[in-house]
Amino acid sequence: MFIRAVQHNTELDAFRAEVREFCKSEMPAEVRRKQARGQHLERHEYDAWLKRLGSRGWLTGKWPKEHGGLGWQPEQFLAFQEELGRAGAPPLISFGPTMAGPVIYTFGTPAQKKKYLSGIIKNETWWCQGYSEPGAGSDLAGLKTRAVRDGNHYVVNGQKIWTSMAHWADMMFALVRTNPDAKKQEGISFLLIDMKSPGITVRPIIGITLGHHLNEVFFENVRVPVENLIGEENKGWTYAKFLLANERVGNVDIAKLEAHLAQIRRLLDETREGGTALAEDPVFQRRMAELEVGFATVKALMADQLAAARANGAPSLMGAAALKLRGTELQQAILQTGLDVLGRHGMVFQSDALHAGWNGELIGPEASADVIYEHLYRRAATIYGGSSEVQKNIIAKGALGL
Amino acid sequence: MPSFSAEERQLLHDSLNDFLAKNYSFERWKKLARGPEIEGFGRAEWAKYAELGWLGVALPESVGGAGGGMTEFGIVMAGAGRHIVLEPLLGTIVLGAGAIELVGTPAERERLLPRIAAGKELLAFCHTEPSAGYARDYVQAVARADGSSFLIDGEKTFALGAHAADTLVISARMGWQKGPVCLFLVPRTANGVRLNVAPALDGRLGATVSLAGAKVAADAKLGDSDEDRLGVIDRLLDRGAIAVCAEACGAMASVTEATVEYLKTRQQFGQPLSKFQVLQHRLVDMNVAGEEARAIVHAALQALDDDAPDAQRAVWTAKVQTARSARFVGGQSIQLHGGMGMTDELPIGHYYKRLTLCETLFGDGEWYLKRIGAAAAASAIAVSAT
Repeated sequence: MFIRAVQHNTELDAFRAEVREFCKSEMPAEVRRKQARGQHLERHEYDAWLKRLGSRGWLTGKWPKEHGGLGWQPEQFLAFQEELGRAGAPPLISFGPTMAGPVIYTFGTPAQKKKYLSGIIKNETWWCQGYSEPGAGSDLAGLKTRAVRDGNHYVVNGQKIWTSMAHWADMMFALVRTNPDAKKQEGISFLLIDMKSPGITVRPIIGITLGHHLNEVFFENVRVPVENLIGEENKGWTYAKFLLANERVGNVDIAKLEAHLAQIRRLLDETREGGTALAEDPVFQRRMAELEVGFATVKALMADQLAAARANGAPSLMGAAALKLRGTELQQAILQTGLDVLGRHGMVFQSDALHAGWNGELIGPEASADVIYEHLYRRAATIYGGSSEVQKNIIAKGALGL
Repeated sequence: MPSFSAEERQLLHDSLNDFLAKNYSFERWKKLARGPEIEGFGRAEWAKYAELGWLGVALPESVGGAGGGMTEFGIVMAGAGRHIVLEPLLGTIVLGAGAIELVGTPAERERLLPRIAAGKELLAFCHTEPSAGYARDYVQAVARADGSSFLIDGEKTFALGAHAADTLVISARMGWQKGPVCLFLVPRTANGVRLNVAPALDGRLGATVSLAGAKVAADAKLGDSDEDRLGVIDRLLDRGAIAVCAEACGAMASVTEATVEYLKTRQQFGQPLSKFQVLQHRLVDMNVAGEEARAIVHAALQALDDDAPDAQRAVWTAKVQTARSARFVGGQSIQLHGGMGMTDELPIGHYYKRLTLCETLFGDGEWYLKRIGAAAAASAIAVSAT
């Protein structure tokens, strides 16, 4: 207990100032304006911002230096996230930097590293995740999408679902079944698939947010070069689990939590009950204090996993599970507090206000529609990346030996 | 208080659920909610509800009602919740009709209540103001006499159904900032009335109402005195609270059944999800949470019908428990459906949203806990002073 050397805060002050200054000078005015209202960014706006962060190497700051990262200490990564959140910057996207990248630099061939890593570092390539299928949710290893070897290609047929941002992605990392006769975990391979390949169809799923974030992706005789196989054929489950540990750490988005908390504080300032600001209400003061305690705890759990990743190449599956469990519960609790404030404004959901060019009249605080959107969207936080029930099974088995 | 026999209640319950099960499928719901009927509910449905006697269920027989009480209201609202109906029951038959019944003169009651029972009059109750939060005594709108009419100025927050109401029931202080609070029947289309129409979280439409010198006739003031109506408004909003509790009970029963069915059919790890004990226990908790709410809401409805001295406290207590149950059941219904619960295409998310509205309308659980605490402290002080 208490062994790890924690980076001293004062070393980070200069870095924090640099990130703050960067956000101030480099965030385009239109992006800043949209972020304040929680309006959705166009892909090109998002892309321009991420490329600016990428030009500093910050999207992949926690990657080891040998793979093009900056070798950040946990505390530096957390500081970076906090500053982004406080500056109201657009959320980072983890499919490339947190998920695909570490799998490629850990298990990929030199050619794969050369081909893909710099695109992730500079945000030149957008990735999506081909994991879940209609019949494979919690039981991910039950996936059925088939890849059959044909000369120098795999021919892929099947369907993925709940694929976030597939409609924006250039590449997908996907789990496919290459041996249907083996035990289910032993017949899976990990493929990198170009989303422009003939035979791929992306269909939108409109969420309870009324927004388009999720998709179904269909594969019909999609030819994927054999050189896009990660590691060995039928060993994909190993890489899949490695990725899941990283994904679950990434599911806890410190910048986003910081931004949510700031939003809720503003809502409390802007909302009155009997003429008095809710920020003065002892019940809400206590709830905000509870959330602060939760946030500090989650950040401490995260620092451990970032340190484990630095030391061992990956976070621990059990530690990531615990972090994901509590981090996503905290996110839901923060957004629930926001909703409890917005009940005072009649629980209006002007989802159209989230689109640029809407010229209607807002009801209640400026952030209302964004807080409700996020509240609805993050109902999935305890589902995506493996449901909370799955995380508990992992801890029960892996940490407690049950 | 008037009330139905158990047999009559069963008939009402069955007629509601039979009709809605047959005629209010989720497909129909989507058509009504998303247009082309841009009002976001069904006029034809409303006419049918009138014909079936639901709109006048708690109105006296003398005005075309069925002579029921709050419990019968509860049966109607629970049926509405079970099918997440979109029609403006709350504003019209609970709050609007309630205001006319409690405050109106006999002539006003005879003129308006039969129209409500017949489905010819839609109302919305516009009391809450932008800085009021859940507080019920914060009224800054003012009505000034101007010859034989009133001029009303003020801002009212979002009220469900206001966009389509024939008549808005508006609270305003008489004469000046500290005048007594009276209720006015303001035609939605009156000069000086401006609406900002928007959807609530659950997609039902409503509007905020701005009144700038809105001119109404002298007889627009409900009742024949300048008596302060804050006490009546408090009772009305408590009726609204227990009505949405009943609605939540119906929605919880429905969404819990749907979740049980889904887990019985969804196969993972080579067996239905319903075989996993942790999920069985979760379903049990959802079921029990729904039962807790149903039982305590029933008790509160009965207390209101009996005009029991602790009726108000019973409503507050029911709202706290129902808010908790609704939050748990709604959240778990999505959790246990996984991605399927996150789509607009399927009903689960819509139940979640309706339950969230029921949880927060007229005050959320925390707010009623405060009221209960304050009332207990006040009576303790009263006891120690004697």
